[in-house]
Amino acid sequence: MRILELAGRNLKETYRDPLALGFLLGFPLVFMLLFGAIFSSDTAPSFPVGIIDYDGTQLSEAFINEILPGVEVLDIIEYDDSESARKDLKLGELSAYVEIPQGFGEEIALTWQGQKSDIVLDMTYDESDIQTSEQLISTITAVTRGYARIEIPVTVNTNPINVETDIDYADFMAPGIIVFGILILIPTSARIIVRDKEKGFLSRLLTTPARPLDFISGYFICLVAIAIAQIILFMVFARLLGMDIVGSVWLAFLVFFLTGLCSIGIGMIVGSLSKSENQAEPLCWLFSMPLAMLSGCWFSIEILPSYLRNIAYAFPYAHTIEAARGVITRGVGLEAIGTDFLFLVIWAAAAFIIGIILFGRTMRT
Amino acid sequence: MSIDSAEPSELIDDRFAVQTSQLTRVFGRLIAVDGLDLNIKRGELFALLGPNGAGKTTTIKMLCCLLKPTRGTATVMGYDINKQAHKIKEIIGVSPQETIVSEHLNAREHLRLIGKVHGIDSAELKTRSELLLETMGLADRAKEQVRKYSGGMMRRLNIIMSLIHDPEVVFLDEPTLGLDPQARRAIWEYIVQFKRRKTILLTTHYLDEADFLSDRIGIMDEGKIIALGTSTELKTSMLGKHTMIIYAWNLTQKVITEMKNRYDEVIVHDGTIEITAKELDFKEVVDRLHTAGATVRSAYVKEPTLDDVFLQLTGKEIRE
Repeated sequence: MRILELAGRNLKETYRDPLALGFLLGFPLVFMLLFGAIFSSDTAPSFPVGIIDYDGTQLSEAFINEILPGVEVLDIIEYDDSESARKDLKLGELSAYVEIPQGFGEEIALTWQGQKSDIVLDMTYDESDIQTSEQLISTITAVTRGYARIEIPVTVNTNPINVETDIDYADFMAPGIIVFGILILIPTSARIIVRDKEKGFLSRLLTTPARPLDFISGYFICLVAIAIAQIILFMVFARLLGMDIVGSVWLAFLVFFLTGLCSIGIGMIVGSLSKSENQAEPLCWLFSMPLAMLSGCWFSIEILPSYLRNIAYAFPYAHTIEAARGVITRGVGLEAIGTDFLFLVIWAAAAFIIGIILFGRTMRT
Repeated sequence: MSIDSAEPSELIDDRFAVQTSQLTRVFGRLIAVDGLDLNIKRGELFALLGPNGAGKTTTIKMLCCLLKPTRGTATVMGYDINKQAHKIKEIIGVSPQETIVSEHLNAREHLRLIGKVHGIDSAELKTRSELLLETMGLADRAKEQVRKYSGGMMRRLNIIMSLIHDPEVVFLDEPTLGLDPQARRAIWEYIVQFKRRKTILLTTHYLDEADFLSDRIGIMDEGKIIALGTSTELKTSMLGKHTMIIYAWNLTQKVITEMKNRYDEVIVHDGTIEITAKELDFKEVVDRLHTAGATVRSAYVKEPTLDDVFLQLTGKEIRE
């Protein structure tokens, strides 16, 4: 009862505060709306992309003839050799060209059989056009992974009809923007805790019979409720903007929910370590904004240098985006995102345990 | 008048709600509370009076189990602050120095939160809330979020939050800090209603507040109780001097010299002569002035204040 009262009070303090609510929900929704408007399907450009097939297998041909033409933003032009493709790229007639090396089909087949494989595509693009090249890298990567990871018997490998090729910008961008929204739970969680600490409300309640576990549970229930509401709202909004969820909605929700727990845990840590809102706020933004960029909220992390990508993968958000894109755009199940999922579970548990320990220490001092 | 002393806390006396024994708190090199020995009777309204930094709030924080003492101990209703913090928290109510409220909650929600944390059932809570809101003049605006309240209303809410669970001992830390005289007076009237029904430990640096509200006053400075007693006891027995202020004409050097020869302390400024002595007879002073050639226009005996007591004891004013 004590816990529910404390949780209820924390919730009221959040949803009755227009600024806090606007920050928590409005900020990411505006981003989503902006991205939705910018990349709406009516105005989405089509990029001419050259393809050179050095593999010449049924699988590589299926990839070129069945999969790539289905991608709305790609205008596929086949070439016999890379020289002529390079010439057209220099003339500006191509945005990029992709070379499918020998062994591509063999590697794809290995993947389908559940064996270890190394799928390589060589892509050449005009590096002066960063935005286009970045979108093309992301799209080609997503489509190739969709093609490679789907588990169907080899005998029907030339007819991969279940592969989602209708990837539009909403599908690609939405998981990143949702993760950005979930990242905002870090400053929100930290602020709720620090504000109570700074304004003395926590001290006041510490003169009552409420125990540390009651406070932690009170904050936890409130923040989890906020996270659930936030994720549902973002997913519905993204759906309205055109995001198609090919895979399980529940799995996508679960991935985002685990990420929400990670954000709450990090927020609790920052909130416990900070003495004031003025201290916590910049600390949270210093942490969450670079992380949003590194994790690929707004663009694919494929374009990042490897050391930055390694940093991104040390945090949960890049894993969330990969896993969510897998579920949303490629329809993969838990088995395909198992590693990312496990990483999120471990991160959420660790962030929570550290958050609880630090918060407990704060209350004792 | 003497300062009550307390034996170590194992000797719990049922007559006392709060007993401290050599209670000490040190912050680095600063001794905030220095070996405090204090007994507060059950049902008493006891005021700790002292300037900022005297150690009043630190004392309350230790008694509320928010702060561990560096040395010594204390009991609240017989429970040891070092060993039975949870028990103490069940029977105390605390109104902190800062107005600590949840801005987006209304007054009823505040009372419900504190009441529920203390395990009071909803029906009882509702009855008590209405009574307290009515008593404190907040019933009309009980549904409004408290961010719309005035400073005085917030302070009143701050106080009733400490009373909603019907505690045995109430700690009011500077309950009228920062309020205008009218709002302060209103809060005093509310506090007076709880006298005798609760043991109240109030801290203040307002002399008139301690004077008006308390049964007994402990004057605190630099972490120690330097005087203790009722307001009258402190003002009379501590000072042992009386002062007369006389407005007069013809305050010549002869008059002043004659007065200085007769009384302990004579101060003259702007046609006023201020005479202080252990024994002062009103008629005798006026007659002496007349005889010496002065024309007395008005005269009165200055009532001693707690500030005079503090000045006498420490050589500084309490507002410093």
